[in-house]
Amino acid sequence: MSTRQSDSTDGFEEPDDDKLFRDRVRENPRPAAVWLAGLALLLLLEIGRVFAGVGQAFGIVGFTVELFASIPASVGDNVAGTLGGAAGFVATALTAVLIAFAITVPVSGSVPDAAVDILGLDLSRRGRRWAKRAELTFVLVAVAGLIAYTPVGGAFSALIGAITGGVDALASALPSITSRDLIANTGHRLPDGGWEGTFLGLSPAAAWAIRTGLVFAYATAFLVWLWRGFNVYRTHYRLADWTPRDDTVRRFRHNYWGLFGFVIVFLFVVLALWAPAVSPVEAQHNIYEPNAHEFQYLDENGEVTSTTHVFANLQSRSDGQNTIGPMSYDGYGRWAPLGTTNRGQDMMTHLSYGARTSLVIGVTAIGLGALIAVVLSLLSSYYKGITDIATVMASDTIQAVPALLLIMLVSVVFQEANHPIAQPLDGGLLLALIFAFAYWPGMWRAIRGPSLQVSEQEWVDAAKSYGQTPLQTMRKHMAPYIAGYILIYGSLLIGGVIISTAALTFLGLGINPPTPEWGRLINGGQSYISTSSWHVATIPGIAIVLVVIAFNALGDAIRDAIDPEADVDESEAATAGGGA
Amino acid sequence: MSQNTASTTPDDRAETPSDTMVKVRDLKTYYDSGSLLEDRPVKAVDGVSFDIRRGETLGLVGESGCGKTTLGRTLIQLEEATDGEVLFDGTDITSLRGDQLYEWRQNAQMVFQDPDSSLNDRMTIGEIIREPLDVHDWKTPADRRKRVKSLLDEVGLSPEHYYRYPHQFSGGQRQRIGIARTLALNPEFIVLDEPVSALDVSVQAEIINLLEELQDEFDLTYLFIAHDLSVVRHICDRVAVMYLGNIMEIGPTEELFTDPANPYTHALLSAIPKPDPTASRDRITLHGTPPNPRYPPTGCPFSTRCPVRIRPDKHEDLDDEVWEGINGFREIIRERMRADRSIRERVRERFGLETRFATIDETYDELFGDTAVPDEVERVLTDVAEAAGNHEEQAALDRLNAEFGSVCDGVAPEGGADPVEPEYYEVSDSGRLSYCHRHDAEHRETETVLDDRS
Repeated sequence: MSTRQSDSTDGFEEPDDDKLFRDRVRENPRPAAVWLAGLALLLLLEIGRVFAGVGQAFGIVGFTVELFASIPASVGDNVAGTLGGAAGFVATALTAVLIAFAITVPVSGSVPDAAVDILGLDLSRRGRRWAKRAELTFVLVAVAGLIAYTPVGGAFSALIGAITGGVDALASALPSITSRDLIANTGHRLPDGGWEGTFLGLSPAAAWAIRTGLVFAYATAFLVWLWRGFNVYRTHYRLADWTPRDDTVRRFRHNYWGLFGFVIVFLFVVLALWAPAVSPVEAQHNIYEPNAHEFQYLDENGEVTSTTHVFANLQSRSDGQNTIGPMSYDGYGRWAPLGTTNRGQDMMTHLSYGARTSLVIGVTAIGLGALIAVVLSLLSSYYKGITDIATVMASDTIQAVPALLLIMLVSVVFQEANHPIAQPLDGGLLLALIFAFAYWPGMWRAIRGPSLQVSEQEWVDAAKSYGQTPLQTMRKHMAPYIAGYILIYGSLLIGGVIISTAALTFLGLGINPPTPEWGRLINGGQSYISTSSWHVATIPGIAIVLVVIAFNALGDAIRDAIDPEADVDESEAATAGGGA
Repeated sequence: MSQNTASTTPDDRAETPSDTMVKVRDLKTYYDSGSLLEDRPVKAVDGVSFDIRRGETLGLVGESGCGKTTLGRTLIQLEEATDGEVLFDGTDITSLRGDQLYEWRQNAQMVFQDPDSSLNDRMTIGEIIREPLDVHDWKTPADRRKRVKSLLDEVGLSPEHYYRYPHQFSGGQRQRIGIARTLALNPEFIVLDEPVSALDVSVQAEIINLLEELQDEFDLTYLFIAHDLSVVRHICDRVAVMYLGNIMEIGPTEELFTDPANPYTHALLSAIPKPDPTASRDRITLHGTPPNPRYPPTGCPFSTRCPVRIRPDKHEDLDDEVWEGINGFREIIRERMRADRSIRERVRERFGLETRFATIDETYDELFGDTAVPDEVERVLTDVAEAAGNHEEQAALDRLNAEFGSVCDGVAPEGGADPVEPEYYEVSDSGRLSYCHRHDAEHRETETVLDDRS
């Protein structure tokens, strides 16, 4: 930093400043290398899980692609049913081209000009943009057609299958530090005391505690690594001595309520991501297929016998008469850190996989809803007029129906029809999409004012005056100003989505068993709240309250941190101190 | 004194000098009301014509809301012109679309009024100034950086400000950044929309000087929009005075300031405080507010407030107070004609209940209560009041115009049906133009009438 400062006094021909980020790293590679080595070490420790994650990402991408790929055919089938085969074919082709075109619009900008120049046409700027989109659409449709209608498709799916299979194989073969193979906590008591099959012969409770502790330690290390990265970039590679982001981070670090929220949200996310590691029994054995999996235990006669989970669960229910409370073993030597549910399943397993469900639904719903809201608010505030009116009408129409009622209605319609999107997560994905559909008008309303305001700023006019494209103007000059608002409303609403999901499941409408969900736990435990099995409803209840509060606190803190006017005096001081 | 021999419009001066850069002809910019029922646009710019010569600074002055900013924005195609043409080196830029417009935009840029709002706070100074270069794909990224740094130097900032953010700068510095961005594409023509009105007086001078230096260095042509007349007098070669979407007078600065021809220019200049306490002429106070640009008056746009409005010969000697009353009366009737009465109000009126419209009698009393009105005039006024009271506003106005109207109100002297508008009269050898009937040979000149009536 000091070298650059001395350079900068020489005038504007300073060579140092004109270097790209890549060059700056090349010049001083050590800090970046150390930091990347940290990442490599962290990834290596959890290599098995990393591949499992990759495999899951493949699954999600595959599902999405298949969903989109099935749209043209299903539209075509519907049309063919009423208008005949030829019309159906035309409808299929049209839908396919439309979908392909919609996909190309956001990515066509990054296609190099050379791709169009080979056409040999003398194109204007606008013409070139459309030519790129047309080219991309053509390529996409051609590839899709090849896969769908020719033998290439078979080879392609074989290839995909090989890749996913390879990833899955790697995921199960490679070790990870938090795997239950390495630190096993399932085993049985030996007749003469001690445990068989657990990690180092420790009790399942101790083994589980070690594994869970490792998970959180690992996640914390990852967080530290991220923070280090920011600091390394700031001290070694960033050209500016100070940017507004520094202040944002500083304000956030001093907001204790926000930090509390952050910690809880962090715990919640870790719980969801590492659900297989923190659950004392495997969800597949205990919840999804309890009658297909056996385990061994020491029975009252002092013999090691074998039984299925479904039978053991029946005997370990917490239903008022019979209670397996928190921090105890059930009658089969299975460790239940949070007790069991009213159906005898392990509460901790249920809670961590339920966190996964909630997180997936919350993030999908808010992510999608916020995306719709931001895009529409940018379009409607930039173009105004008819675009604005159309958006107002659409959002008013949706908001005219009470949200919860609308969600129930749509969810029942799709579930009764057994629609393919009602399959994943036993209705969880469907619920997420419905939430996105029902909640975007609210978010759009919330950011409409700010986006109209920013669209009236003179810098938007200035951008227009030198010919900036509308899309770029919206992205560079308008979107950053509403990003803060959408972050806040998003993080506030995510709590609402989580609690609504729980509420719907509580009513038996949201997510069907066996997919774990917190609302169902509360529903199951509500009649035992005054008995010794009080924990069944109380623990997930407290968890929901905590998570929702935490998301709200985090949202508030983000808002305060982003707002540059939150502490004018201090930032003035920082300004005076910063700079060359 | 001006010569009003040749009546001429800018169109007649066909032999425009070869160094004309921007040629504006009958330009109109209307804003739609957005209402579905009534189609009465706001006439922000209502038919202006003028030339801007290469290398000159043309000032554009006028009170707020007269359409000067809209005119400036139309010249660089930030607003779409409703009618007329803007010839930029011979090309009509109002007809440019898509790529042609994008290419042309390099030639004309704008410096905005509010330095707080014209710079995106989330971008560094470097990014802000670089953006026009990025948009137009100017050379290589490294060249762009160099250019931005030399621009920063050019406008009196230092190159290390590249990585700072706008809110670390003062208003004057922010305006310099805005100017640097404007210069990035090497434009020939720059619209300066009140570039200093948001700044401290001490900073204003610095920015003005900077603008003058840059003009010399880069051969820039400026359209300088302002309402601060002293700044205009300092920087501009020629000045156009605008009122209600029309240019009232346009000509060389010094001439226009020392010897205004148009009554509106007179009024505007009389508002400049004079350091000499013994200065002879009083300030001309204009009555009322500028008319609603949605409903401009017929005839001359300034007729409703003009201190030297032409009066019919037989009423020439009427008391000024009575004339004031008559003018006010006309405005109120026009206002009543426009106000749409709700059904509820019609019903209330029917039953003699109070409505939000004062009765015409009250108005009449207020206007003429304590002035001595000659009998014959009073007779006419009573007729008018009666017609207005019966909601026959058009009839009332017609009667009023027939008696008191003049060429200024669009009443043709020969009694033609179409309202007449003033013409541009060449009022000096330098080609200064003024939009006023007073320059016609048959009327007395503004100056004498002003002295007469004051």
